[in-house]
Amino acid sequence: MPDQKAILQLVVHAGEILLSGGAEIFRVQETMERIAKAYGANKLHVYVLTNGLFASVEDDGKTLNSELRYVPRAAMHMGKIVAINDLSRRIETGKISYSQAMNELDRINVLPFTNKYARIAACAMGAACFCYLYGGGVWDALAAFISGVILQIFLLFTEKQTLNRIVLNILAAALASIVSFIMLNVFGIGSNLDKIIIGAIIPLVPGMALTTSIRDFANGDYLSGTIRLIDALLVASSIAIGVGGVLVGIGLITGVAV
Amino acid sequence: MINFIVQFVVALVATISFALLFHVPRTEFLYCGITGGAGWIFYVLAMQWQSSNVVASLIAVIVLAIMARIFAVFRCCPVTVYLICGIFPLVPGAGIYYTAYHFIMGEMELFSAKAMETFKIAVAIALGIVLILSLPGAIFKIFSPRNCKTRKIN
Repeated sequence: MPDQKAILQLVVHAGEILLSGGAEIFRVQETMERIAKAYGANKLHVYVLTNGLFASVEDDGKTLNSELRYVPRAAMHMGKIVAINDLSRRIETGKISYSQAMNELDRINVLPFTNKYARIAACAMGAACFCYLYGGGVWDALAAFISGVILQIFLLFTEKQTLNRIVLNILAAALASIVSFIMLNVFGIGSNLDKIIIGAIIPLVPGMALTTSIRDFANGDYLSGTIRLIDALLVASSIAIGVGGVLVGIGLITGVAV
Repeated sequence: MINFIVQFVVALVATISFALLFHVPRTEFLYCGITGGAGWIFYVLAMQWQSSNVVASLIAVIVLAIMARIFAVFRCCPVTVYLICGIFPLVPGAGIYYTAYHFIMGEMELFSAKAMETFKIAVAIALGIVLILSLPGAIFKIFSPRNCKTRKIN
């Protein structure tokens, strides 16, 4: 049986991966408690926030050890959440030794991201489909597809840069709008600028932040819910600013209202 | 009828695209797609039955959240996976666009109407999710496969 400090290490590691993958607070907290219990650390105290977590183990009324982790915002990785969920379930059956669990966690921590080209294709396909769903025609969808390709290339390019999230979203939304405008007016693809732009900006829309925020609020984690809600509002406003800015710019340069 | 099938397939493909962007395991793609497609179809149906897209969003998100919970139990995966991917067709992307558009054009009445509508849709989505996710887990137990404890995903 591993000692209490070792269990704490394992639990905190699992929580860190979950949180950076974009899991909601309740899930992180519950998974950590379950793993600790399965290995025999009954008195685990955890407090999880959107960007950090605290945990300590207690034995005979005194704290043995405590850990603190800062978990900065990272790209959503659903594969990690699924894998840890699965691991914690197997740990609970008691069939996985401590060292096996540690190895599994290290493997999950470096689970690869989907390859670049697949992501470009997915972003383009998503944009085209949403353009169609919101009432665009097939040609509008094609224009949105091309905007989606360029948008995702831009996002991949800026991924490594430490660009401010607000600025990044304004630039990305502006880029998507400009490309949509060029597709329509220079290449003559599509006929409704509004539908094309709506399709093209959908990959930026903060659906994940909004959903996670709602779930945090529902579970009573108001602080974390607020953090994510503000994130969602800022991103939505940034998109609006990016699109709006381009529409104004086009109006000024070409002299016609779009 | 053909139109509904086309809409469903397009929404399914769109949802799967987002599943890929969020690095969902490949085995769950189809289930994410079905969740998103079902949500969208109910949105379209609700829009034919009445004219408020706030009500339509609420109905659609309830269906979507129920599907997500069923798949979560059935596939032994977190509900988040299906919920976040499937919600994308309902997130008010168009609302954000038109709000910005009317603001830029100085059409203040349309602007405030659109902004209010977008906000209401967001609230409807929140309400639907909270409602369905607070249902007790026992209701969905019947969809649980026997081998959940030993099944290994990726």
